[in-house]
Amino acid sequence: MSTAAAGITAEGVAKRFRHRVKGEIYAVRDVTLDVRPGEFLTLLGPSGCGKTTMLRIIGGFERPDAGRVLIGGQDVTWQPANRRNLGFVFQNYALFPHLSVFENVAYGLRVRRQSEEAVARAVGDVLALVGLSAYERQFPNQLSGGEQQRVALARAIVIQPRVLLFDEPLSNLDARLRVQMRVEIRALQRRLSITAVYVTHDQEEAMAVSDRIAVMEAGRVVQQGSAEDLYYRPQSEFLANFIGRANLVRGRVVAADAAGAEIEALGLRMRTPTPGLAPGAAVKPVLRPEALALADAPGPAIIVSRMFLGDSVEYVVRLAGETLYISASSASASPALSEGRSVALRMAAREVAILPERSP
Amino acid sequence: MARPSGPARAPSALTRSLADPALSASVLLLWGALALFVVYPMLMLLARIFWVDGALSFAGLRAVLTDANQLRSLWNSLLLATLVGTAGTALGLGFALAAERCGLPPWMRTVVDAAVLLPLISPPFTTAIAMIFSFGPRGLITYDLLGIKGFSVYGLGSTLFSETLTYFPIAYLTLRPVLAAIDANVEAMALSLGASRWRVFRTVTLPLAVPGLANAFLLLFAASLADFATPLILAGNGFPVLPTQVYLQITGLFDLRGGAALSFVLLGPALAVFLLQRYWVSRAYYVTVTGKAGAQTRLSTVAVWVRGALFALCAFTTLLIVYLYALLLFASLVKAFGANHAWTLDHYRHIFTDGWNAIRDTLIIAAFAMPLGGLFGILVGYLVARREFPGRRSMELISMLNYALPGTIVGIAYLIAFNDPPIMLTGTALIIVACYVFRYGATGIRATMALLAQIDRSLEEASQSLGASTATTFRRITLPLILPAFFAGLGVVFIRSMTAISATIFLVSLSWTLITVKILNDMTELLLGPAAAYSVFVIAVVFVVIALTSWMLRRLRAGGAPAASLLGG
Repeated sequence: MSTAAAGITAEGVAKRFRHRVKGEIYAVRDVTLDVRPGEFLTLLGPSGCGKTTMLRIIGGFERPDAGRVLIGGQDVTWQPANRRNLGFVFQNYALFPHLSVFENVAYGLRVRRQSEEAVARAVGDVLALVGLSAYERQFPNQLSGGEQQRVALARAIVIQPRVLLFDEPLSNLDARLRVQMRVEIRALQRRLSITAVYVTHDQEEAMAVSDRIAVMEAGRVVQQGSAEDLYYRPQSEFLANFIGRANLVRGRVVAADAAGAEIEALGLRMRTPTPGLAPGAAVKPVLRPEALALADAPGPAIIVSRMFLGDSVEYVVRLAGETLYISASSASASPALSEGRSVALRMAAREVAILPERSP
Repeated sequence: MARPSGPARAPSALTRSLADPALSASVLLLWGALALFVVYPMLMLLARIFWVDGALSFAGLRAVLTDANQLRSLWNSLLLATLVGTAGTALGLGFALAAERCGLPPWMRTVVDAAVLLPLISPPFTTAIAMIFSFGPRGLITYDLLGIKGFSVYGLGSTLFSETLTYFPIAYLTLRPVLAAIDANVEAMALSLGASRWRVFRTVTLPLAVPGLANAFLLLFAASLADFATPLILAGNGFPVLPTQVYLQITGLFDLRGGAALSFVLLGPALAVFLLQRYWVSRAYYVTVTGKAGAQTRLSTVAVWVRGALFALCAFTTLLIVYLYALLLFASLVKAFGANHAWTLDHYRHIFTDGWNAIRDTLIIAAFAMPLGGLFGILVGYLVARREFPGRRSMELISMLNYALPGTIVGIAYLIAFNDPPIMLTGTALIIVACYVFRYGATGIRATMALLAQIDRSLEEASQSLGASTATTFRRITLPLILPAFFAGLGVVFIRSMTAISATIFLVSLSWTLITVKILNDMTELLLGPAAAYSVFVIAVVFVVIALTSWMLRRLRAGGAPAASLLGG
């Protein structure tokens, strides 16, 4: 089961909707994306950011008001959904309730007028691939959520689509199954080496499945990059808080050199690789919870709360009017650091990112 | 398997809807049919009232509005409708509470549901006939049991009683789902906050059911306002109401313009109720019915003695219905009800020989109206709910009009519109078929739209993304899923084709007549035996059709399709 992977390009795509209260609103504004053939791109953002609308524009269910969409180098902006040859996995799976599992999966092949023999073979193969060979004659309402999810996946890939599109496919599953299914989806996508665009609001899920993540906010793509890029080099306060947790504090440049700068914040010294900073300038370092650590010695910080979470221990600390979140691996956490104690802080990370000047 | 790419241009919504030839063809066809069989008759009716000798004239309407007798019939109609609405809603609420809050035993629920089905599927005046058998001059109770001679059953009281018994099932079927949908936790919460059961009912249950109650009241009000046969049999001369006055004006005095003007007076309240129900109540409805009811036990919010009283009410009403229908059956099987109670099949022999024409005509007309009405319902329902085209909203409104208005008005409008060239249909079966299709086919529209509301659009999008065209998607995905609405529509059109009278009494002719008209004639000529036999026959046929349709619906549901109510709309 091989597919010729196609790239996707979106150029300046915009889409307006009429809202009953707010009037005309932009769901998507000026979005430009470039998905390489075989790449797994995730559109990540809070609800209402336009990520699903963008996906539906790629899928052909919405027409953009401006811009164009190319798949495999071909302009498909005005091509109807049924001629794009894409696989779409819906949030609610959208299985046909009146058709058996076999007929659901066979649907796209029958539309393509394939022979009965070819249909039976392809459906058998793909059901085996998703581990549902024994379920051919069941109806959707007899399946569990995870099984329905697999049928939806099988139905989308059996037509050998040029691109796979996922609209929050795991949001209706319980937490454990969600983790298992995202591993399966990623493995399947690698195996078919098919281009995939995936929409989710769950940053952990996005980081787990994607080659690249495009974070959307209020209809725009605000930053694109690998999970590491987004986590270690967020370009705005929104991004710093949306991907993982962050302590955003005020700092000052102490010294600068060609490789970066030395910063002071919270009475601690830290390095940033950002070049071109002037000594004395005010900066906003992004301190991830694991970038800070508690020293087992008295100091200016007070432990407000301590939460044991199994693999880690989470502290909330007050220091100089700031509330800080600090995470330590439970292997290294000292039981002596209890709530109410005054402690000193130290840096655990070698380098930190700083938010760009213009960021709000 | 890449396919050739589409043209890279940006068509407008209008061009896109016109680009789908199947869509534009069906839209044009439907508009043509609606213009001819809904809009045109209404315009002709208005023209007949207000356009006299080539000039606008309000003389006809003024004559009606200054006539004390006619004003009294308007007042009587509104009074009767209000009383029936109130009494029927109260009785329906009692039944719904018994079913949803008192743990009515399953067998009793089955009996109750079967009994309330009877008035719903019978010709609308069946209880009225049975009332005559029971309380008339030679009635079983008044004459035989109580020995009262010269008792008058006619008047407001018995009309109210009969209509309430006929129409309260509508209130019951409206209110039961409303009560069921109120989250059990909300009532449990109020109880846990220390409220008494009566207080919970008064401050939580009842306020949440208010839109349902208003809806039930309006439905009953409209039904009573439009009811023509019950008052004709039971109201007597002392209590004239509008629909019967209209009928007498036209068939007795041959005054078509006067009848039309009188029917216009009926139009006002009927239209007001329709719009109120549509734009106010139905909107308030879905706001209250939210949240998922958990699978937990409902704490009883009804005191033991109230429960007993409700059970007694249900049992008494059910017995009363069964008694009245048993009486009807009895009357059809004896030589002369009230005089000679020797068993005989003469009346059945009579209706299948002398009366065979009416039976044959009714069945033929029903057989044609059924598929056409069913098709009309799902087609309009689907187009309005799922497709974009100019005039979508007005199409929905206009297609519901003949259903929403009292049959008397529709009947007169058809009589006026199709009596003269350019379109002469009077005396044909087509005029009756058309009346049924556009009047009762509309029930399928609501059923289809309700069904489609439960079917997520993503199903159709999934089909598209798998390469299916709009037509294929409709045929293979949408159509199988709305099939229950189609069958429900078939059932409703058939039942109404067998039982309706208010509109079609103006449309029957020597060549095409109907069983219901025959029953009414027999009643006025005091041929009680044949009238009872016809009624029993109609009920039996309708029961068989309902059983078949329900069986079809169950089979469809087994295949995974969503449920649709047979009496939807």
